[in-house]
Amino acid sequence: MTARAEMIRRFTARHIVNHWLMLVTFVGLVVTGMPQKFASEAWAKGVVLIIGGVERVRFLHHLLGTIMALQLVWHAVESVWLHVVRRLRMPMVPRLADGQHFMQQVKFNLGLEKRPPSMGRYTFAEKLEYLALVWGTAVMVATGLLLLYPVRWASLVPGEVILAAKAAHGGEAILAFLSILTWHLYFVHVRHWNTAIFTGRLDEEVYAEEHPLELATMRRGEGKAAERRLEAWRLLVFAVATVLIVGGAAALYWWLRTYSGGLLTVKVPGLS
Amino acid sequence: MESKRRISTACLIAAAVLLLAAMPASAADDNACLECHGSVQKATDAAGMMDLKLTPEEVQRLAVQPATKGNVHLGIACLDCHPKAAEVPHPAGMLAANPCVTCHDDVLAKINTSAHRDPAGHAHPRAECWSCHTAHDVRPPGDPASAMAPVNVASRCLACHNRRDYLIGVHGQGIQLAGLDVAASCVSCHGGHDILAPSVAGSRVARRNISFTCGKCHGRVAETYRKSVHGAALTENDNPDVPTCVDCHKAHATVDPLLPQFRVSSPEICGRCHSDPKVMGKYKISTAVYSTYVADFHGTTAELFRAVTPDQPLNQAVCYDCHGYHDVEAVSKAGDQQIKARLLVRCQTCHPQATTKFLSAWTAHYIPSPTRYPLIYWVRAFYRLVIPGTIAFFLLYIGVDVWGRRRPRRSS
Repeated sequence: MTARAEMIRRFTARHIVNHWLMLVTFVGLVVTGMPQKFASEAWAKGVVLIIGGVERVRFLHHLLGTIMALQLVWHAVESVWLHVVRRLRMPMVPRLADGQHFMQQVKFNLGLEKRPPSMGRYTFAEKLEYLALVWGTAVMVATGLLLLYPVRWASLVPGEVILAAKAAHGGEAILAFLSILTWHLYFVHVRHWNTAIFTGRLDEEVYAEEHPLELATMRRGEGKAAERRLEAWRLLVFAVATVLIVGGAAALYWWLRTYSGGLLTVKVPGLS
Repeated sequence: MESKRRISTACLIAAAVLLLAAMPASAADDNACLECHGSVQKATDAAGMMDLKLTPEEVQRLAVQPATKGNVHLGIACLDCHPKAAEVPHPAGMLAANPCVTCHDDVLAKINTSAHRDPAGHAHPRAECWSCHTAHDVRPPGDPASAMAPVNVASRCLACHNRRDYLIGVHGQGIQLAGLDVAASCVSCHGGHDILAPSVAGSRVARRNISFTCGKCHGRVAETYRKSVHGAALTENDNPDVPTCVDCHKAHATVDPLLPQFRVSSPEICGRCHSDPKVMGKYKISTAVYSTYVADFHGTTAELFRAVTPDQPLNQAVCYDCHGYHDVEAVSKAGDQQIKARLLVRCQTCHPQATTKFLSAWTAHYIPSPTRYPLIYWVRAFYRLVIPGTIAFFLLYIGVDVWGRRRPRRSS
């Protein structure tokens, strides 16, 4: 390792902010969510005690969940802008090559292959995690909305669906939490101490090991896609898509919130 | 000095003897007794003159206040109970055997069949009359100064019986703090002279009789209870498993059921029996009722709420919001349609928009299975496979990767 390795820019401010938001909401949702799933456990009660009561835990969970849902909406809009209007490639989309890379990596690790796979901007491990995150967030947001407005949804679907959503919400949460503890922890903390998503820069040596194809492209000066002119029809598509996505989310929210009369307060002795 | 005291003692005794000899036994000769016993000061002086070494407690015990209006024994002389009092200095055994029986022989008969009878079988009871009624200032219970006034009863019984939790119960506080003399004191539930241990069938506080004892004041509640699934099983079959009033409300440290902490802790009260397989197995009732409640929305909140704020008002449904309390019924008693109709009413109490579709958002304590609530069952089954499967795959891959990276590389 050279004394002062060259740092190569890997992520932009947009990536860094996206990751920070995901990090804060994810950790917060795990901390406020798990005690609700394991309510009868002593540690769950301890966490609730520290946070200051189940109502506050619920409020924080709903708040962070809303932020995470907005991130999903933002990501959809952002994707349309980047890939339709700016015509950038979609490096996260899985390809056949990713499967081959995976097999080659396993074989290499077992000593059956001489070389490790030569991968581009995102390795198969990163793509897998990204897709799991998007899918998992979508499941969590959808089921979370079912749990948040059960009576409203029960006017459309049988109540059983709400309980199925509850099971999925809990199951998906465990899956996501354990995935972060294993897959994510290993790849960005153990395999390499990779701080690129916070600093935006990655050590050249690591870059060369993990993303040799992208590095080669960058070295050849092809990294920067030539600035293309914004085309009117692409902007129109973006505008329509944005209106549909944001409008759809807003309409859903409006439909859920404007249900005549909410939860009645139970007449509890001692509760005025 | 010594001779002076002797002389005065002799004079005192002489005076007492003269006084006692001159008058027939009547209330009037009490005055002679009161010369020495009339107050703590007099008793101290007399003991001093007679050269008796008495502790302050002994002196206190010897001091007797002159009987005043309201004392039911106003006409009774000291000598009636202390026949040897005429002898001065007093000999041992001053108190007549069972002095109260002279008049109250019917009471002794009751005591001798009660829990306070002498375990050796003698006529002398385990608790003396004056242990409860006091010896000298005996007054009717209605008199606030009486030892048997409601406010004083507990202090008498607690002198021997360690049930101080009564004092923090709603009845004890009612009498002691709120001044409600109608609130239950010890004798209201246990009786007085005829008191029996709860294990004795005829006891007022035997399982079978508790609802009637509480019902003396809580009449309608007790009647409703006796018609419920719990009460009926007790009164009809002497069922040993069903709860009586005190199993839920506690006998002594009774919590006011209108206080938030009763509501917050109520699921745990029901859960004590309903999650016990030994009890529920006999009746083929599911023991999952408590765990399924805690796993559901209301129960999760109630459980976490109780852990942090057990004394704050809880607005989540607890067992009795759906099942009722004193009037609780067996679910099997109602038909499927009737259950659904009633459940909807219960749901709508808090969720006014709830429809029949909403009802299945609660599995009615059932654990989902392929036949009952299959959708929930399959979602759970899916995650039960996918979670360990995914994580196992991750760990396996990571293990291989770690191994591969530690393996000495081929020269490249």
